Amino acid sequence: MQFLESIGVALRSLVSNKLRSILTLVGVIIGVMTVIAVVSIIAGMNKYVADQINALGSSTFFVNKFGITMSEEDYLKALKRKNFALQDMEAIKERCPLCWKVGARMVAFKKVKYREKYVSDIAIAGATANITEISDINLSSGRYPSEFENEHNRRVVLIGWEIADNLFPGQDPLDKNIKIGNYYFRVVGVATKRGTFLGQNQDDFVLIPITTFNKLFGTKRYMSIFVKVENFGSMQEAQDQVRLVLRARRNVPYDKPDDFAIMTSDTFMDLYRTFTSTAFLVMIGVSSIALVVGGIVIMNIMLVSVTERTREIGIRKAVGAKKKNILWQFLVEAVTLALVGGLIGIILGSVIAKIVAATTPLPAAIEAWSVITGLVIATSVGLFFGIFPAVKAAKLDPIVCLRYE
Amino acid sequence: MLIKTENLWKIYEIGNEKVQVQALRGVDLEVEKGEYLAIMGPSGSGKSTLMNMIGCLDTPTQGKYYLNSRLVSQMNDDELAFIRNKEIGFVFQTFNLLPRATALHNVELPLIYNGTESKERLEKAKKALKIVDLEGRVTHKPNELSGGERQRVAIARAIVNNPSLILADEPTGNLDTVTGAEIMKLFDRLHSEGNTVVIVTHEPDIAKYADRIVHIRDGKIEKDERLK
Repeated sequence: MQFLESIGVALRSLVSNKLRSILTLVGVIIGVMTVIAVVSIIAGMNKYVADQINALGSSTFFVNKFGITMSEEDYLKALKRKNFALQDMEAIKERCPLCWKVGARMVAFKKVKYREKYVSDIAIAGATANITEISDINLSSGRYPSEFENEHNRRVVLIGWEIADNLFPGQDPLDKNIKIGNYYFRVVGVATKRGTFLGQNQDDFVLIPITTFNKLFGTKRYMSIFVKVENFGSMQEAQDQVRLVLRARRNVPYDKPDDFAIMTSDTFMDLYRTFTSTAFLVMIGVSSIALVVGGIVIMNIMLVSVTERTREIGIRKAVGAKKKNILWQFLVEAVTLALVGGLIGIILGSVIAKIVAATTPLPAAIEAWSVITGLVIATSVGLFFGIFPAVKAAKLDPIVCLRYE
Repeated sequence: MLIKTENLWKIYEIGNEKVQVQALRGVDLEVEKGEYLAIMGPSGSGKSTLMNMIGCLDTPTQGKYYLNSRLVSQMNDDELAFIRNKEIGFVFQTFNLLPRATALHNVELPLIYNGTESKERLEKAKKALKIVDLEGRVTHKPNELSGGERQRVAIARAIVNNPSLILADEPTGNLDTVTGAEIMKLFDRLHSEGNTVVIVTHEPDIAKYADRIVHIRDGKIEKDERLK
C-alpha cells in the first residue's frame, strides 16, 4: 500500500515536469540503451556466425598459404609464399591416414555470359567433387559436378542463384550452355539463394571441377585444401600429420615456422570473438560512464526533492511516519525514476538495433536476458544513488522540518 | 490522568560557543481526560517547546512525561512516532496538508502509517470528513479549498485515528476572525463529544474558548486558571 503510494508519487512528479524528468534520466537512458543495442547486435552476429561456422563442423580443418593476416605487411609476406597445387592435396591423401576426406578449392573472377546477357566479376570456384562434404550450398535443382567429371576435366558447372536469376529469368537453366571467361560450360545444377553475409553477396558464384579449372584458368592461383576427419578426437593428430607432409614438400627447415596455415572452425570463432569482445568492452566502458553520471544526476534530483519536501517530511513524521517509512518512500521514488529511464533505454536500444539491422549488413537479435539486464542495471542505479538522499530524508528532525519555510 | 509531566526541563545549546538556552525550566502539568485546555504565553515563553514535549515530537533534557500512563520522555524516535500516530492529533497554524494530495488522502495519512487496510482507511477518512462537515470536498486538493476548509481537513486528519489528545498550535493564526470563530466552534463540538483538546496560543480571545488556561512565561508555569 505504501509502496504503491510511493510509486504513484514518483510517477506523478515525473509526468508533471516532463523536461526536467527527461534531463534527469538522460544518463540512465543512454547507459541502458547502449547495453541493449550493442548486445542485440552482437547476439545477432553471434547467431549468424555460429551457424555459418558450425555448418563446417568440428571435424574439418583448412590449409592455405595465408592463414589469418592481421596487417597489410603480413598479407604481403604471405602472398609471396608458394601456392598450393593439386599434387599437395594428393600427397596429403596418400600420406595422412587419419585424413578421411581431402579436397581442394580455387577461385578466379571472370565474366559469365548466356546469349546476350552477362554478369561480371563472378567468383569462379574450382573444387574437388567432395566439396559437398563441407559446403553449405544447397541445390534448388540438378546436382554438383561429379567425381567422374572431375577426373575427366569435364566442362560442367553449378551456378549460384544470382547467375540463374540474371541470365535465365523465367527459364530452367539446366542443360543450357553458358560462357565462363572464354569457355563454354553446361549447367548441371542450380543453388538455392543464400543471401548476404556482412555485406558480401553469397549468390554470385559458379562451381566447376577443379581439374577443369586448372586446365582452363591455370594453376598459379591461391588454393585452399580442406580435410575432414572421421572422428573429432583425431583432429589434432590429423593436423600434425598434414603439417609433416607439407613441411617436407615445401622444404621448410626444421627450425623455421610453417609457411602455410592450418585453421579449424575454432580459429575462426576465436578471431570473431576477439572482434566482438572489443566491441563488448567498449560498450561496457561507455555505458558505465553514462550510468554513473546518470546515477549522480538522479541522486542530485532526489536531494533537491528532499529539500523541496522538507515540510512534507515533517508532516508525515508528525502523524506517525517512522524513519524507515520515509527512507523507503524516497528510495522507491529513486528506483521508480531509474526504472522509467531503464524502460526508455530498453525501447530506444531495441529501436536502434532494429535500425542498424535494417540499414547495415549487421544482423540483430533482441535477447530477453539483455532486457532483464537493462532492468536490473536501472534498478541498481536507482538503489545505489537513491540511498543517500533517502537516508538524509529519514534522519530529518520533524520539528525542524515543520518550521521550514 | 492523561498527561502528567514532572519537572520538565529543556535546554538547547546554540551556536559554536554552545550558549545554553533554557526553554523549559521545570514544568509540572497534569491534564485529565476530556479536559479543554489552553496554553498561553508570549513569544519566547516556551509554549512551543512545551507543545513539542506534549506532542511527543521532542524529549526533555530532564524530567518525566507520562502520556496515558506511558513514560514517553525516554522513548526513541521510532517509539515516539508510534505514540504520535496512536495518541496525538496535531492541528497546525499553517494547516500543513500535503499540497498535491486530495482531502481524502490527506486525512487517511495517519492510517497509512499504522498499516490500516485500504478499504477501512477510506471509510474512516470519509467519516472524519463528515464530522467536520466537508463531505462534499473529499476529492478537492488543498489549493482548491478555502483557509477554513483546509483547517477542517487538518482537524479531520487529527481525529481520524481516534487519538487521546487533540493538540492545536495557533489553529486560527492564519484565518480571519469569522472563520477562526467557526473553527473554535468545531473544537467546542469535538470537546463536547468527549475529546481532550489542548490549544496553544498567544491570543487571549482564543484561549477564552477553553475551560482552563495555563499561563507560561520564561519556561515556567506562571498561573493555572480555571474558567469554568
